[in-house]
Amino acid sequence: MKRTTLIIAGLLILTLAIGLGTALASPQPAPASQASPIHPNFPLLDKNGENVLTSGGAVSTMQTCGQCHDTKFIQSHAFHSDLGLSDYQVTTEFNASPGTFGKWDPLTYRYLSQPGDERLDLSTAEWLMLNGARVVGGGPAETSRSGQPLESLPLSAKNYETAILSKNGKTEAWDWKASGTMEMNCFLCHLETPNNAARTAFIRSGSFGSANTGTLLGLGVVDYDGSTGAWTWNPEAFNEAGEVKSEILKIQDPTNANCAACHGEVHTGTEPLTYTACDLDYPQTATTGQVISAQKISLSGVNLSGKNDLNRSWDIHAERQLQCTDCHYALNNPAHATEAQGNNPEHLKYDPRTLEIGEYLQRPDHNFARGQSAQFNVAPELKGTMRRCDSCHDPDKGHADWLPYVDAHMAAVACETCHIPQMYAPAIQSYDWTVLTAQREPVKTCRGVEGEPNQVTSLVTGYQPVLLNRKNIDGKLLLAPYNLITSYYWVYDDANGNQRPVRLLDLETVFFQNGSYAADIVAAFDANGDGALSNDELVINDAAKEELIKTKLTALGLNNPRIEGLVQPYSINHNVTRGENAVNDCQACHKEGSRIFQPIKLADYAPNGTTPVFDANNNVNASGEIVTGADGAVYYQPVPANDGMYVFGSSRVSWVDWLGALMFAGSLLGVLGHGTMRYLSARKQARGPKRTERIYMYEPYRRFWHWLQTTSIILLLFTGLIIHRPDIFGVFSFRGVVIVHNVLAVILVVNAALSLFYHLATERIREFIPRPYGFFDDAIVQAKYYINGIFKGEPHPFEKRPDSRMNPIQKATYFVILNVLLPLQIITGALMWGVQRWPQIADWFGGLPVLAPFHSLVAWMFGTFILVHVYMTTTGATPLEAMRAMVTGWEEVEVHEPHAEETAEAKLDNDEKKEN
Amino acid sequence: MKKSTSTSSVHRFPAWTLGLIGILLVILVPVLYFLRTDDPSVNPADYLPEKPVHVDHSDIVKGDFKTGQDVTRACLECHEDAATQVMGTTHWTWESKAFDVAWRNEPVTIGKINQINNFCIGTQGNENKCMSCHAGYGWEQGREAALSNPENVDCLACHADTGIYGKGTYGNPAEGVDLLAAAKSVRLPTRENCGKCHFDGGGGNGVKHGDLDESLYFPSENNDVHMGGELNMQCTDCHWTKDHQILGRMLADNYTIDPKEQVSCEQCHVDQKHKDERINTHLSAVACQTCHIPAIALEDPTKVYWDWSQAGQEGRTDDHFTYLKIKGEFVYDKNFAPTYLWFNGNNEYRYILGDKIDPNGITYINKPAGSINDPTAKIFPFKVHVAKQPYDAVYNYLLQPITSGEGGFWTDFNWDQAFRLAEPITGLKYSGQYGFATTYMYWPTTHMVQPAENALQCDSCHGPNGRLDWEALGYPGDPIEWGGRK
Repeated sequence: MKRTTLIIAGLLILTLAIGLGTALASPQPAPASQASPIHPNFPLLDKNGENVLTSGGAVSTMQTCGQCHDTKFIQSHAFHSDLGLSDYQVTTEFNASPGTFGKWDPLTYRYLSQPGDERLDLSTAEWLMLNGARVVGGGPAETSRSGQPLESLPLSAKNYETAILSKNGKTEAWDWKASGTMEMNCFLCHLETPNNAARTAFIRSGSFGSANTGTLLGLGVVDYDGSTGAWTWNPEAFNEAGEVKSEILKIQDPTNANCAACHGEVHTGTEPLTYTACDLDYPQTATTGQVISAQKISLSGVNLSGKNDLNRSWDIHAERQLQCTDCHYALNNPAHATEAQGNNPEHLKYDPRTLEIGEYLQRPDHNFARGQSAQFNVAPELKGTMRRCDSCHDPDKGHADWLPYVDAHMAAVACETCHIPQMYAPAIQSYDWTVLTAQREPVKTCRGVEGEPNQVTSLVTGYQPVLLNRKNIDGKLLLAPYNLITSYYWVYDDANGNQRPVRLLDLETVFFQNGSYAADIVAAFDANGDGALSNDELVINDAAKEELIKTKLTALGLNNPRIEGLVQPYSINHNVTRGENAVNDCQACHKEGSRIFQPIKLADYAPNGTTPVFDANNNVNASGEIVTGADGAVYYQPVPANDGMYVFGSSRVSWVDWLGALMFAGSLLGVLGHGTMRYLSARKQARGPKRTERIYMYEPYRRFWHWLQTTSIILLLFTGLIIHRPDIFGVFSFRGVVIVHNVLAVILVVNAALSLFYHLATERIREFIPRPYGFFDDAIVQAKYYINGIFKGEPHPFEKRPDSRMNPIQKATYFVILNVLLPLQIITGALMWGVQRWPQIADWFGGLPVLAPFHSLVAWMFGTFILVHVYMTTTGATPLEAMRAMVTGWEEVEVHEPHAEETAEAKLDNDEKKEN
Repeated sequence: MKKSTSTSSVHRFPAWTLGLIGILLVILVPVLYFLRTDDPSVNPADYLPEKPVHVDHSDIVKGDFKTGQDVTRACLECHEDAATQVMGTTHWTWESKAFDVAWRNEPVTIGKINQINNFCIGTQGNENKCMSCHAGYGWEQGREAALSNPENVDCLACHADTGIYGKGTYGNPAEGVDLLAAAKSVRLPTRENCGKCHFDGGGGNGVKHGDLDESLYFPSENNDVHMGGELNMQCTDCHWTKDHQILGRMLADNYTIDPKEQVSCEQCHVDQKHKDERINTHLSAVACQTCHIPAIALEDPTKVYWDWSQAGQEGRTDDHFTYLKIKGEFVYDKNFAPTYLWFNGNNEYRYILGDKIDPNGITYINKPAGSINDPTAKIFPFKVHVAKQPYDAVYNYLLQPITSGEGGFWTDFNWDQAFRLAEPITGLKYSGQYGFATTYMYWPTTHMVQPAENALQCDSCHGPNGRLDWEALGYPGDPIEWGGRK
């Protein structure tokens, strides 16, 4: 025990001497001064409840703030503090909880060992030292996994909660009573200028009990003597009643700068923005490239490609002066009572009975409203409690004047997809922990930057997030933007049969000897023979290297070491921009090779062919494919069709297009061939004038609805083709074409309906119905004429009369067109348009992925029909006569000679009609 | 079966064309109705005034011109009304119309001719230098003679090529100017003509206005979106002129200004709607200039402080930007944020010669009118010029010294003499004792409009780094939290 105390003391002195020197000189830059003028003066109490002025000890936030606020309540209602401790359960898998305490993060790599694990990697103490900068206190910083205060646990090196892994690999006990534990640190978020640097220095050196007091350094309230470890409270900072002066210790609502202390880059000043890229000290920026700043990107100090044209702010909500707490508010904050409505009876729109402000201030729920990001899974029951975009913004008002199908878009695409089109900071791309650099770090790559990140000569290009479908809390599936971070690492089975990641310590033992690379490692990896291992060489790209590491790991007693790869999605929800800078060009998605299909690079390589696996413990649909490019790089290729997405102009079922094109081409050939033959044979024949009569064939209404139908269908086909292949017809505005198509469709339907009514009412519909008796015989007669007789100049077998204008084949064709194809096209079209109005009905048919290709196939058929139909009209007395008749109404019809093969029935009909 | 019975008539309109038209209508009308987008925004350039075609005077003007008046006589041969027109404008009279002001029993007029500012102070008695910016000749004859003679109208100052013509003392053409060449060069006034006087007011480039200086001769688009880049607008494109009456009034030379006489953005930008609706909610309280002119004196510095009390010291080196023996100490500034006040277009006070001052306080040469409760007032950017200028320690009013005139301070460096000599000219009695009082003058910022991309953003005014003093403007706090004025 004495040794552990010595170790602790040693760590203290060493690290603090260095760390505090800098930390004392630089408290955090002052964020917005929002000091609450009504917060009363209060005395600072130590953990025994005594005023620190008398006891001279470290301040206890729970005691101090607990004088007015119910700190027990706060601490037990704070997932920032709990970090997964309350859900911690021993498991054979990596993750014992969904929170930072218990969930293994391949980026930080060190593993919080579970009780009973064969080997110790991170104990609670070391976990706290490593992650403590982002740990608020309370939760695992104070309490054991079984719910006991850490300080009450008996010292034992065997208990990972009271142990620590020393540098030489031995497990030693950790005395919590000596180091102290960390209470939930109110000062960190509620002070104007908390000294996070000093606090972090204390935590990293293991003196957890000093962390909270360290937050007050630099304000003139307290001083710390590194050599003695004593706190000196400055009486000048206190008034006569022993209360700390409120001008010195300004208590306030958390500002963006407070949140930035742990979460990442928040820029609130006016100086040109710069950031530290791909640095896990700024986690939000490092993992996604998000930067919270109101400044215009063009005014920043980043070496960003195309910066001068980027006239938009980094984040529009920051520009509009929203604070983090405006969306991530305390769940019982009465100022946000409209959100917290809960289960009201149906007739009650709003329940004004809320907490009084005083009650709220006593027991503020520190479970903040949160979204449903992929990367943060602590307290999953609270996911989705935050208001979403549509809680404040009305998508109809903003989009209705330019976006057709607003509801359909909102139902398929999350706001973030279009309103966060591009990230302008680099983000982590991959971490390869299968190898170690000379600094004992993985080989890292950063996306969105050319050259090393954070060097002034590197060009930041930013990157376009990949679009994946996200399962919302309410069950909806929406496309949203993500960054994907891939990590490769070694995994082994420990003596208990549990899968565990190989410890960093063991990896170091494998790779290094006496402080530098082991000889066999150099031999295996040094490709250019210069004796040094560069990042390019540190790749396990063949079986030999893999075997080498495997052997060495097995030699350390690790069973079945193997490489695994994990792809983790990181949600992107900030850096929103206004409509004019959002995606507002239809063709960004509605064209071949659109954003929706854009692959994202996962890593420059896969170690010896190990394909990484997409992390399934989140709400992201990873329905795409992980593919390896020609250069060996690994990419994620989204396949929206696997999520049932059909995007007009982008998705297509190729066989439908091929079949349709084949039909059309075949008909074209047939028509050309037939026509050519007719032309040639006509020249050979004797030209005698055919006897014709001028008959009034088509009444005005018939002509009107026919040509209206023609124009509508042709225009529908044309606009439909543009919608189907917008990249070929880029000159047309996609939005305009969609609107025209829909308008024409309505015209078509009304026209067809009126015509149907007309034919029913006048009983002329009879002419369109092929008479079954003798139908096939007549059809064959007609067919024979077209195949043979027409070339010989024979007359038409069936007389064309106003009451019998169609030959049997015509009747059959029109019957199918008007009663099968047209209704199918109308119904599929209506359902496709109605996808936003009646989604259930559309889904019943299979949704857009079925309806749309069907619609396209029928369109091809219509195209073919028109081709053949127009050609067939040339079989009149003269080639243009039939068309002229359909325009003027009068047709010169061949005088009918009774045909030898005319059936008796038809003859009867003819005679009957002649008498009329 | 109907057979052919119709008589084909060549003259009759074929009936099927009716059907064709019907079909086209049925298709086009709904399509066009639904394709309709937002009303196309009006192009402000449509409102630019039409200028008459340039007539080259090189063959028209003939003659030997010895004096400026000779030239004017020649102009008046064809442009008969020009002189009388000019003489009815403030460019000639240097005096406003009569105003009834609350602190005086009789109406007063305001202008360079009879009032003072806090730059070179006053022109009375200093006509030899000051009138080099007057649109007339002959000031050596005295005010009455100069202003009553139509032949004294200086056509060339505004119409001649500024590379050929310049003005010298007493408003007369400068030595060595080729008057014939100048007369032949006449054309519509350009920025050079206006800028010759208005850019160099106060005794040097950019001294006075802050938003008008020589950088506007060849501005980039970022300096002034109207005068720069492709638009290359001339002053008269906004300061519409008819019969020599030029639209636009200077705040300091008026008490109230009739909006009809003032230039406004709405002359061309008739539709104020911005694409961002949130900006549209600001239009009733924030003037266009506030957001669209983020900074004063973008390229060339402007004078922001002038301490006359330091003038006349021996042994100090003259430096244009910091100290001149004849003028005193100055401070210049460049590319800085304006001062923002509620402004309804008028002054609530203008210093009239003889007004009593509090020598220990601030005297306002002019004070813009407006307040948060004035529905016609909007937040407007101003350049503030602070000066320490002479006042009579016994009578407690500001004094106007003779500076460039004979025996003035600029020759003899004697304040007493300067004030005594001024007594008969200005009518201000001089007690023999003088001091220096602090004065403020407010110049509206309305030029150097930057392109829309450079306009102020939300965080320029709102939030912790905002440039507006909300409480000074009368708000309880930042309107983003407290709401705007009702």
